[in-house]
Amino acid sequence: MTSPRAQPGFLPRAEFGRLFAALEADGRRIIGPTVAEEAIVYDELHDPAQLPVGMTVETAPGAYRLVPSGRDRAFDYAVGPTSWKRFTHPPLVPLTVSRRDGAGVDVQATAPSAPRLAFLGVRACELQALAIQDRAMRAGPLGDVDHAARRDASLVVAMECAVAAETCFCTSMGTGPEVASGADLVLSELDDGFVVRAASHAGEAILGQLGLAPAAAEQTNAAAEQAREVRRTMGDPVPTVGLPERLRASLDHPRWDVVAERCLACANCTLVCPTCFCTSVSVASDLDGVTGTTERSWDSCFSLGFGRVAGDANFRPKVKDRYRQWLTHKFSTWWDQFGSSGCVGCGRCIAWCPVGIDIREELLVIAPPGVEPGPAPWPAAPMGGRAPDPLPAVLPARHVTVRVGDVVHETADTVSLSLATDDRTLLGAQPGQFVMAELPAFAIPPISISRIRPDGLDLTIRSAGAATAALVALHARDTLSLRGPYGRGWPVGEAAGRDVVIVAGGIGLAPLRPLVDAVLADRPRFGAVRMFLGARTPRDRLFVAEMNALAGRADLEVSEIVDRAGPEWLGRVGVVTQLFDRATWDGSRATAFMCGPERMMQAAAAVLARNGVAPDRTWVTLERNMACGVGTCGHCQVGPFFVCRDGPVFSLAELGSAFGREGL
Amino acid sequence: MAGPPPAPTPHHAPRAATPRRPRIGVVKFASCDGCQLTLLDLEDELLAIAERVDVVEFAEATSHRSSGPFDVLFVEGSISTAEQAVEIARLRTVTRHLVTIGACATAGGIQAIRNWFDHEEVRQTVYPEPAFVDSLALSRPVADFVAVDAELRGCPISPGQLREFLVALVTGRRPQLPDEAVCLECKRRGVVCVAVARGIACLGPVTRTGCGAICPAYGRGCYGCFGPRESANTASLAEWFGATTAAPDVARLFAGFTAWSGPNRTAIDALGGPPGQREAEGRSGDA
Amino acid sequence: MHDAIGTGGTGGTGNNLEIDVAGLTRVEGEGSLRLLVRDGVVQEARLEIFEAPRYFERLVVGRTPDEVIDIVARICGICPVAYQMTAVHAFEHGLGIPIDPQIRALRRLLYCGEWIESHALHVFLLHLPDFLGYPSALDMAKNHRAWVEAGLALKKVGNQIVELVGGRAIHPVSVRVGGFSRVLRRSEVERLAGPLTSALRIALDTVDLVTGLEPPSFDRTARLVALRHPSEYPMNEGRIVSTDGLDVAAGDWPSAFEESQVAWSHALQARGRDGNPYLLGPSARITLAADQLHPIAAASLASTGRAAAIRSNPYWSILARAIELVDATAEAIDLVEAYRAPDRPSTPWQPGPARASWATEAPRGLIFHDYRLDEEGHVAEARIVPPTSQNQAAIEADLAAFAPRVLALPREQATHRIEQLIRSYDPCISCATHFLRLDLETVP
Repeated sequence: MTSPRAQPGFLPRAEFGRLFAALEADGRRIIGPTVAEEAIVYDELHDPAQLPVGMTVETAPGAYRLVPSGRDRAFDYAVGPTSWKRFTHPPLVPLTVSRRDGAGVDVQATAPSAPRLAFLGVRACELQALAIQDRAMRAGPLGDVDHAARRDASLVVAMECAVAAETCFCTSMGTGPEVASGADLVLSELDDGFVVRAASHAGEAILGQLGLAPAAAEQTNAAAEQAREVRRTMGDPVPTVGLPERLRASLDHPRWDVVAERCLACANCTLVCPTCFCTSVSVASDLDGVTGTTERSWDSCFSLGFGRVAGDANFRPKVKDRYRQWLTHKFSTWWDQFGSSGCVGCGRCIAWCPVGIDIREELLVIAPPGVEPGPAPWPAAPMGGRAPDPLPAVLPARHVTVRVGDVVHETADTVSLSLATDDRTLLGAQPGQFVMAELPAFAIPPISISRIRPDGLDLTIRSAGAATAALVALHARDTLSLRGPYGRGWPVGEAAGRDVVIVAGGIGLAPLRPLVDAVLADRPRFGAVRMFLGARTPRDRLFVAEMNALAGRADLEVSEIVDRAGPEWLGRVGVVTQLFDRATWDGSRATAFMCGPERMMQAAAAVLARNGVAPDRTWVTLERNMACGVGTCGHCQVGPFFVCRDGPVFSLAELGSAFGREGL
Repeated sequence: MAGPPPAPTPHHAPRAATPRRPRIGVVKFASCDGCQLTLLDLEDELLAIAERVDVVEFAEATSHRSSGPFDVLFVEGSISTAEQAVEIARLRTVTRHLVTIGACATAGGIQAIRNWFDHEEVRQTVYPEPAFVDSLALSRPVADFVAVDAELRGCPISPGQLREFLVALVTGRRPQLPDEAVCLECKRRGVVCVAVARGIACLGPVTRTGCGAICPAYGRGCYGCFGPRESANTASLAEWFGATTAAPDVARLFAGFTAWSGPNRTAIDALGGPPGQREAEGRSGDA
Repeated sequence: MHDAIGTGGTGGTGNNLEIDVAGLTRVEGEGSLRLLVRDGVVQEARLEIFEAPRYFERLVVGRTPDEVIDIVARICGICPVAYQMTAVHAFEHGLGIPIDPQIRALRRLLYCGEWIESHALHVFLLHLPDFLGYPSALDMAKNHRAWVEAGLALKKVGNQIVELVGGRAIHPVSVRVGGFSRVLRRSEVERLAGPLTSALRIALDTVDLVTGLEPPSFDRTARLVALRHPSEYPMNEGRIVSTDGLDVAAGDWPSAFEESQVAWSHALQARGRDGNPYLLGPSARITLAADQLHPIAAASLASTGRAAAIRSNPYWSILARAIELVDATAEAIDLVEAYRAPDRPSTPWQPGPARASWATEAPRGLIFHDYRLDEEGHVAEARIVPPTSQNQAAIEADLAAFAPRVLALPREQATHRIEQLIRSYDPCISCATHFLRLDLETVP
């Protein structure tokens, strides 16, 4: 409830311009509803005459029509195709400017330009959406500087709904129609004017300027009754008690195939949704690749490229996978990530779907109320749910220029760069963390740290596309820019007093090497240490000399195997699990750490489990598409997890069946 | 059609000298010239780009001629004569990166509508002396004849995408040519969906983006000139059009400039063929 | 096609000359040139069009008028507006649809944009290199960078107009029967004012530059044909007139001209009903309608003193285009200034049967469309006659007349002069090829 900080006033209809004047006197540009292209959109307003007086909307799945309302009110419409995220999380945000010239590489973050705005006519559902996006944008290690600046610079003038559209269901989602928190001013429209109350200090200041007569009791009662009538009209279309659990347990429901036949994967639902926040980063440069810029733009989990990783593999190739991701994220895993539902019941996705798919209908079929959910595919809220209150501070991204020292060609397509830096944050990296590696004019890939030294880091990079090829082509004394270190690394201390099992496939050995360094630096602290290394061919092995030296040590076991080899190879040939599938050691005393292709890790996990290694003692590192590395772009989600900030290291116990499930 | 463009052969950091400027060619088959003209429409950057590449063949713009070899060959136009089929095969053998540009080269163009008609009827109604005119029965995309390394879609191609492709080529990175629906561009721009708000049939959801969502921004429906995107669910959209728009003939909505591309072609066939076919059947057999 | 580099043929030996240019460059589309002179007598003078046919008149059968507008644009990437304008006016005239005056003005602005883009392309990128001795504008830029940049800047303004009014610089999307697909706000149109002012400056400088050129001397009497309008320089409307007294309504084109097929060309050739060739284009328009030029363009023409030369020497078409660049930019400035947004983007209309015929002035000359719509309002038959196909016979006649003058030159120079002559007509070969004739049918 709003705190009764100031008496509600009444603003007669004919004097609505005074509110405009007060907001403009506060140095704000007013964004509010107006008619354009046969819809009501949010745009800059200079005059109350631009408001959509006498209009309301009729909506249905796949349809939206402006119709006369038959009365003189301006706010009788239900929400249209624009949401306030257009102004708090805009479609296009410049991120960095970079240079690469004789002096080396330099990347500068672009300071946000957050105009001073007033949002006029924000509905209860939209207030909740703003709050939900606040949590999403602030849940990573950094938060989002641009979003925070825009939120700080905007004043929210809420409008309580007097009318609901057929597609509204805020009542089910607990977000309206009554305005709860999040506004600076709250208005309710009556026939002859507006009840106005303040809901924050900033709102009080504006209200004070207006000098309104107090609202009469029948006016405030009429306003409250309007909202109750809206609630009655809407009913409760989507019972949500237990919905997150029911939905989570329905990943194999046959209805997903049915809706996938209709779904166009056109991304409209995600782009009209006021809480969806996924973005992608694009690069631009001059013709010489000397100066570059990056910018971030709205993207969607429905686009095929969203799930693509290096080498053109794709984690959600089918439309069914993507629809399921969207719906389960919105109504289930959002709780795990941000401590609330992701849906506010605004109904935009229903109206603006070009083929009229109605999520209310889909939810009722896939996760019908009153039915006991099946087994959960992963433990509930494994990270404890996230909704810290107050929200953590926003930290700007840091772009640190580092210099290349040695370059070691590990294999035909893989190179290890020794990077020198004195940046204490980078030097404080933990085994298993990664950095985002940037060269101007190229895409920015996440790269695992393959060694942590007192004076720098090593990165081991495989050339799999133009960006990694450019990194692999760097020479000694070249520079590049790093962001990070990011991610949750290997829990080395967790293995203290226990045997250590390390399974590495191909380039998977790279993120494991700092773990090996840490174990060997404190060898007595650990039990038996066994390393199992797999590679495609002998020429694809990493760190050959080092691994040979380790193999010669008495205090650890190193076994290796290759998928195939010529006669010059005297070692074992086969898959890496063959190195330990007949093992006699007792896995119940071991902690296992694995990295490699997911198929390999799945096979190895099964063998290790047979050996007695517990799932909460088996640690893997996952690879996903990452654009930001800090939990705000949405690309790296797997079930309830953001690989970049909840991982990339996970235990199998945490992942549950999210590990190895196709299309998740 | 060709798959997503592969990453170009990477080159070293810009400070390493490239031994020579890439040899660029621009050739044309059956088309209107609009895609080539987009190259000349780069206006502000044309001279800067021309300094970094060696344009050895571009008949519209220069009297220098070359029959190859080419580092990058831009190919406009569909293959619709026997001579053209021979020539494209020859060009493939002397080209490192063959890039098709435009709906004609990538999808057969609007002239591919005749692929549904009887060819002799078409020739005879066109020319009194059809023997003078050499044409194949079908107008087909270049990828039906040779391997294609990259494609720029559109009718015509987008200057922005062309610029992006050329900068990526010169700087050695992967061109950013997203394969997603036009709808994303409409929503980013703030264009109100003409289908949902006005009931206009729009192919945006099944069409690849790249144009900047021009048609909805100008108040009409997308007519698919960039061709079907990945996962183009034309069947679902066609069913929706049939139930909701006034157009009784849904097939014609897909029978446009990329009609011959897989999902469009399937939709047209499922819905009874393109407009003008009845006339074709009525005429076949006439002298 | 592309396999022959440069030119072939035997050398000029006084009275004999054989020139084959297998693929003409710096023209739109695919054509080649064949010239054979024996003992001073021209045996063959042919513009061979081998551009692959795309059968547009067959493609539009069964289509609605709005679909036809989208389709016919693809006949040509340089002059799509010409096709769209001719088609849309034909349908509106045939169906009796009235057009709001602001829409009419916007369409003229759109056509100005295309004239500017097309003429700037031709003058600077295609033709001027011949006069200054370069194989391409890119080569020309090495020594005359400022001129090439000016030409590209002018072309860009033309594209900006088409992009604003039409939605896209090539193959506009907004032209609809009855008007446009959306209303343009005055604030959008006003933004063209600044670029157009610079463009007019460049256009006037272009007239000065071109006036100082020294084209080959070649004067002859040709029959010139263009549209003529009582109060404006001809673009979207007019009657068909000629230098020898023709004056018919645009829809009566078939009464004055006819087409035939020749073995060496995929394009039908047009001639007058008397069998004689005729020429369309900027030189024809200047000759027949100079009194309707915008005052700034008229003054510019007068200052050159070359109106008669434009009429008689086809090489001077480059000046005709430059004058039309001045006219189009000056007119566009006036249209932008006067624009007020109409109440609605187009006039509502009902489909139905009709005979739809019209002609407009494409950058390259008069273009004629003739459609018959059936009971459902779909195209039953179509005939599209672009300017270059109409010019073909005249080009070949001029070629034959000019050839003797270069017999004495070295073959390479002779070839260069002849290619420069071909380019004077700004042939648009992709256009010329598409068209085909269905049935001869008299206008009811």
